[in-house]
Amino acid sequence: MKNTLKNPVVYWAFVLPSLALYFLFFIYTLLTSIGYGFTDWNALEPAHYTGFANFKQAFDDSDFWVAVKNNMFFLLFSVVLQVPLIVFFSLLISGVKRLQGLYKTTVFMPSILSTSIIGILWGFLYHPTDGLFNKVLGLFGIEPVSWLGDTKWAMFSILVTNAWQWMGFYIVLILAAILSLPKEINEAAAIDGATGYQRATRITVPLIMPIISVVIMLSIAGAMRVVDIVLVMTNGGPAGATEVMASYMVNQGTRYGEYGYAMALSILIFAIALVLTAVYQFTIAKRQEGIEY
Amino acid sequence: MPAAIRKTIPHVVLLLYVAVILIPFAIVVFSSLKESNAEVASHPLGFPKELFFDNYVKAWKQAKINVYFFNSLYISLSAAAAGVLLASATAFALTRMKFLRTSKWIYQFVLIGMLIPGNVLFISQYILIQKMGILNTHMALLLPYTAGAIPFSILLISAFMRSVPAELEEAAIVDGLSSQGLFFRIILPLTVPALVTVFIINYLGNWNEYLLSNFFISTDSLKTLPTGMVGFRDAYQTNYPLICTGIVFSVLPVVVLYAFLQKKIIEGLTAGSVKG
Repeated sequence: MKNTLKNPVVYWAFVLPSLALYFLFFIYTLLTSIGYGFTDWNALEPAHYTGFANFKQAFDDSDFWVAVKNNMFFLLFSVVLQVPLIVFFSLLISGVKRLQGLYKTTVFMPSILSTSIIGILWGFLYHPTDGLFNKVLGLFGIEPVSWLGDTKWAMFSILVTNAWQWMGFYIVLILAAILSLPKEINEAAAIDGATGYQRATRITVPLIMPIISVVIMLSIAGAMRVVDIVLVMTNGGPAGATEVMASYMVNQGTRYGEYGYAMALSILIFAIALVLTAVYQFTIAKRQEGIEY
Repeated sequence: MPAAIRKTIPHVVLLLYVAVILIPFAIVVFSSLKESNAEVASHPLGFPKELFFDNYVKAWKQAKINVYFFNSLYISLSAAAAGVLLASATAFALTRMKFLRTSKWIYQFVLIGMLIPGNVLFISQYILIQKMGILNTHMALLLPYTAGAIPFSILLISAFMRSVPAELEEAAIVDGLSSQGLFFRIILPLTVPALVTVFIINYLGNWNEYLLSNFFISTDSLKTLPTGMVGFRDAYQTNYPLICTGIVFSVLPVVVLYAFLQKKIIEGLTAGSVKG
């Protein structure tokens, strides 16, 4: 009887298809990236090994550093501004009884839409002459702003659109954690005379710290791989002001055929993402372990 | 502060947030029913003077939104279904079948995939797809979408399968079920909640994917909705009512579906992530 579960034919039949796909699209491609990252391959001529030349080039490539900086903007904007707002709105929604369903459903809605369609929709709102924002500014006699065309505003405009799309998704995650907390703790605190604000900051937020930590992790990961919204709204422009690492890499590969360089960039992006994750795990996330209720 | 006011303040703040979410949609719907750019421009938030449905006919005929829509639907559904099926079979073998050392190694190997941010491999995947000779076919999206979901799906489904009590399968084996029978008739039905979560996450990811579909597919009739709509915008950049109609066409089916399924979607997403 024990042998039923020790059937190598079934075992490999169940494991190999996934493993083959995984190997092909993750491991093999990762190895090609690493391999070609050290060459000058441009898909037309055979590749030559060039050592660390691509990486040196990347370090001297000011355009790439602008892209890195923009990714960091994304990261800071989502962690420093969005996460507190997300927690605030989650607390508000968890505290109301009436209309809770409506809030939960509505705020989540943008997250199910495609980033590219949201990019088009917001591009329409940002239109320099006929878009909503400049119409509203016009009511106050303020000069129209070229939201996506002005290097000062383009990045900010994309960040706002990105926040509009994703905040609800995280709110729903945190809300679920709040609603699954044992009610007794909060009730006991209320009887002891704690105000709603005190209960939120001293009881609820510490208790949901693990899920807030997950949301911060997801925001960091999201900021590192952002690309669609940039390609659709500005394609990195004006003058590279909204270029992020991934869009820069994609453009180097597909537009200029610099495949070797693009693959070296992808290794750098991977390395930066690993370092950020590790730093986060060893500093902030570690301190939050061991919360029990 | 009187209780009534204290109870109202959260609603005021939250309704403002709801307005911020809904106003862009309202503007797009109103604009899609307006006759000209001039009317859109003069009162962006105003209700159309007269409902002008011609845009809808025009967009449906010119924009091929229906073609993009069904391409997206077919690719997202099949890749999500294939991913869930492959991952659950693998998770079953890794967690319930008795090749413990091999399973441990394979599991660790697959976990490496979770460390790699999706876009990093884009250029090499592009080359791979080109080498396989499937560039510009639906296979160019089906394979990477299915493969891309595998690490996360195996991780989540494995965690769920480990919690199924061993007595259940022992009883089934005594009753004469084979290992594949055990998978299809006992374990798979028991893990449906986890499978639904994984399916929804993968499906939404595929439905919204832009980068691969933009570069791997160039034939218009094979394009998915996100890429098709960008092409449509670029072609009719100066006709706001028409672009808005395109947006309505591409958003409406998803929003309607969401209205029906929102409970399941929200629960499915939260069930998997909260007890982390």
